[in-house]
Amino acid sequence: MAPAALPAGAFPLPGKEGMTNAASVPQRRRPGRDGALAEWADRRLKWLLAAPAILLILALSLYPLLFSIWVSFINYDFTVPGHAFVGLKNFQQVIGDPVARWSLVVTLILSSASVVTEFLLGLALALAMVKPFRGRGVAMSVIIVPLFISPVIVGQAWALLLQRPFGPTNYLLGKLLGMDVTISWLTQTPWNFIALVVADAWQWTPFMFVILLAGLTSIPQHIYEAAELDGVEWLDTFIFITVPHLAPMMLLAVTFRLLDAVKLFDTIFMLTGGGPGTMTYSSSFYLYTVGFQQFHLSQATAGSWIFLAMTAIVIGVLVRRLMRVEAAR
Amino acid sequence: MDERAKRDFQAGLSAEVDAFLRGEPTRREFIRRFGEMAGMIALSSGAVPLFAQDALAQAAVDLADPGTPLGKAQAAALKASTEGPADGSAFRAVQAAKKYKGVTLSMTYEAGLQALDPRNFSGPVWEQLTGIKSNVVELSHPDQYSKPIAEHIANSGAYDILDIEPAWTPAMADGGVIQPLDDYIAKFMNTADFDDYHPIFKALPTYKGKVWGFFDDGDMFALYYRKDIFEDPKLKDAYQKKFNKPLAPPATWEDYSQVAQFITDQMAPNVYGAAHFRKASAPGNQYDFLQQYRANGGVFFNDKMKAQLDSAAGIKTFQNMLAANKASIPGNNELDAVSVWVAWLQGKVAMIYSWPPTGRMSANYSQSAKAINFVPQSAIAGKVGYALVPGNPELAVGYNKALAADSANPEAAYLFMQWATSPPVSLARCMLPYSLRDPYRLSHYNSSLYQSLWPDAKAYLANLANSANNGLLDMIMPGWQDYALSVDRMCTAVWAGTDPKAALQTASAEWDQVTERLGADSQKAFYAEYLKLPGSSASNTVEKLGKGVKID
Repeated sequence: MAPAALPAGAFPLPGKEGMTNAASVPQRRRPGRDGALAEWADRRLKWLLAAPAILLILALSLYPLLFSIWVSFINYDFTVPGHAFVGLKNFQQVIGDPVARWSLVVTLILSSASVVTEFLLGLALALAMVKPFRGRGVAMSVIIVPLFISPVIVGQAWALLLQRPFGPTNYLLGKLLGMDVTISWLTQTPWNFIALVVADAWQWTPFMFVILLAGLTSIPQHIYEAAELDGVEWLDTFIFITVPHLAPMMLLAVTFRLLDAVKLFDTIFMLTGGGPGTMTYSSSFYLYTVGFQQFHLSQATAGSWIFLAMTAIVIGVLVRRLMRVEAAR
Repeated sequence: MDERAKRDFQAGLSAEVDAFLRGEPTRREFIRRFGEMAGMIALSSGAVPLFAQDALAQAAVDLADPGTPLGKAQAAALKASTEGPADGSAFRAVQAAKKYKGVTLSMTYEAGLQALDPRNFSGPVWEQLTGIKSNVVELSHPDQYSKPIAEHIANSGAYDILDIEPAWTPAMADGGVIQPLDDYIAKFMNTADFDDYHPIFKALPTYKGKVWGFFDDGDMFALYYRKDIFEDPKLKDAYQKKFNKPLAPPATWEDYSQVAQFITDQMAPNVYGAAHFRKASAPGNQYDFLQQYRANGGVFFNDKMKAQLDSAAGIKTFQNMLAANKASIPGNNELDAVSVWVAWLQGKVAMIYSWPPTGRMSANYSQSAKAINFVPQSAIAGKVGYALVPGNPELAVGYNKALAADSANPEAAYLFMQWATSPPVSLARCMLPYSLRDPYRLSHYNSSLYQSLWPDAKAYLANLANSANNGLLDMIMPGWQDYALSVDRMCTAVWAGTDPKAALQTASAEWDQVTERLGADSQKAFYAEYLKLPGSSASNTVEKLGKGVKID
């Protein structure tokens, strides 16, 4: 509660007296060169403090970015001497490479299949977990454990589970189905794609789950209570209350996850090695192979820019939608 | 803590904080103590770890019981290093290297078992002999190519000694990643040691008339088969009746798939005819295809440097390989080399062709070391026969020790390389049960110590030498990585059902792109040089040149 009136003389008012008082305060800085230096340092202290971080960011981000633009227009290939300017040749090589084009298709298939699977599973789990029940804490802890495992280890673990003839998956499926199961999970299409999606979904469904659960718990309870009083069916409640309220979080989760899913590399590296042939080459795997196995660095860099541009369009659309939703709230 | 003590503590703490904020002596005290602490850390990082590292290095030397063949080989290596003969490469290397005491050499090794040699044996022994420490950098096989290049581009000087495939030598030499050894060899080495190499390995580190490393790993493929199965009277009779010829280790690839299919038909699911490393990106497909392709008369390029994979030899090779796949253990196309070993050691397979550790593991010699006890104990020890791979076996990979161009201590690094690959030291290294280094010197094949490691080790060594006599080399020329990658992709596509003709056409087109990128004329010159090497083709093996080595 603010005081009704300040007591007279509580604060010196601007004026002659006040100025006199101010002048009588002992000067903290000595006039002259030292004082000016100290004043300069005081004024720029914030910049001085921020400078190391800014320099680090420039050195680690901006410089490589500019360097990569330069590299994509020259010959920067370990097996071909010299760094001659080649114009758009590196870009043409990527566009003309059927493996690069196929890798985009693979990226599209795998990222959309993974994100859709993870979204549906994550939503189902979040809906199941939103209301308290006995053991919910333990169940939630178990569910989010895969998030903390390195994707390479996840890939290796799934490879061990799926690889014939030693992996137990076919054996267990055979027992379950009562018939001989001889699926080549890592070398037979479409099973290799399914294996990659399963491994990815196992690891990243908890990410969707956590975000969507946070969204669900933030929906005001009284809306559900009102719907219940009005006798609204469960499905209608979900469609007309839950989904609209959860939509921004859904979009956020899908955007974040898609950003990561288009970079899919680790599990492919461990599970299929890109094979059979180039069947499971994602764009990241293709760029890795060209850049770090074949050492055609300029081609890989040009490919990275092309891939970045395409990804930026998709993610840009999603982010714009997200911003629109946020602005409307 | 009672209430009064709590109040006193909080008051004291508050006073400390206030004093610190006011910049009173507390702050100076803090800064002084911080300085003291930093000084202690600086001192300790210099002095204590030196002592600790030394102690650890001493503790890490893993010497075998002196009464065992390995112990005797190690003793002989130490004696040659410390007592001579004075003109021996090992002795001269040690003497010359002593002036580099305190230096640390970084050396790349394939991660895992390969790296145990420098960690447990050669590194610590070298340190005891010279005072030079070793920093073993473990890399996956593909990274043994890519990391040194990346470090060279970054000019980091991260490595001194590189373990590289002989096939990478042209690319790494032209790229400035490695440096020639000729001057050092003239200064320090007993060049008679070169004559101790098997002829197929001798010329491998030579490129453009200079020596770019020391060959150090005889990775010859050989055929390993179950004698008990091949000598089973019932199976022999049945085979004779069915094919009108005796059941025997196959000499042609057609025979190979026929025998494998016969055994699978007779013995599956207990035992299958064969198993192969067919997994994508796991080393295997490229070596297997190229050895069979050349055994079928295939050549890599024509006079105009156009790829010749899309040929009758290519089709025939795929026909044989697909037939072999069909006759193999379930999941054959998903296996890598280790998985093949597991199936073989468990007795699930009648024959495999693979790298030389197969023989040592089959006899349970490798598993005598704790480091390798993750490999299953062999259920087939004493039942294994050794034979030539049908046609011609591939020298698949192999290793050269190469000197990094950016090494800060090139002479010290060179001296380690000379010492480690000298006849007595390399023998002791090849005999380490956990190491994957394979015999490559004549003195290795003829070593009575190696021959006494297990009952039929002599036959194993004789077969390896014979395999080298008939062996084929990987393509030693720039672009090998790209050519090999295309073959791997081609093979795995065919395993998954792609038409072999179409796959061969795709791979040929990729090969032509690689050639064009590197320059057709220069590639043609490299290819011409490669064809001069013994082992470059089935008509140009050591055996065909009349230089074959026989082990009695």
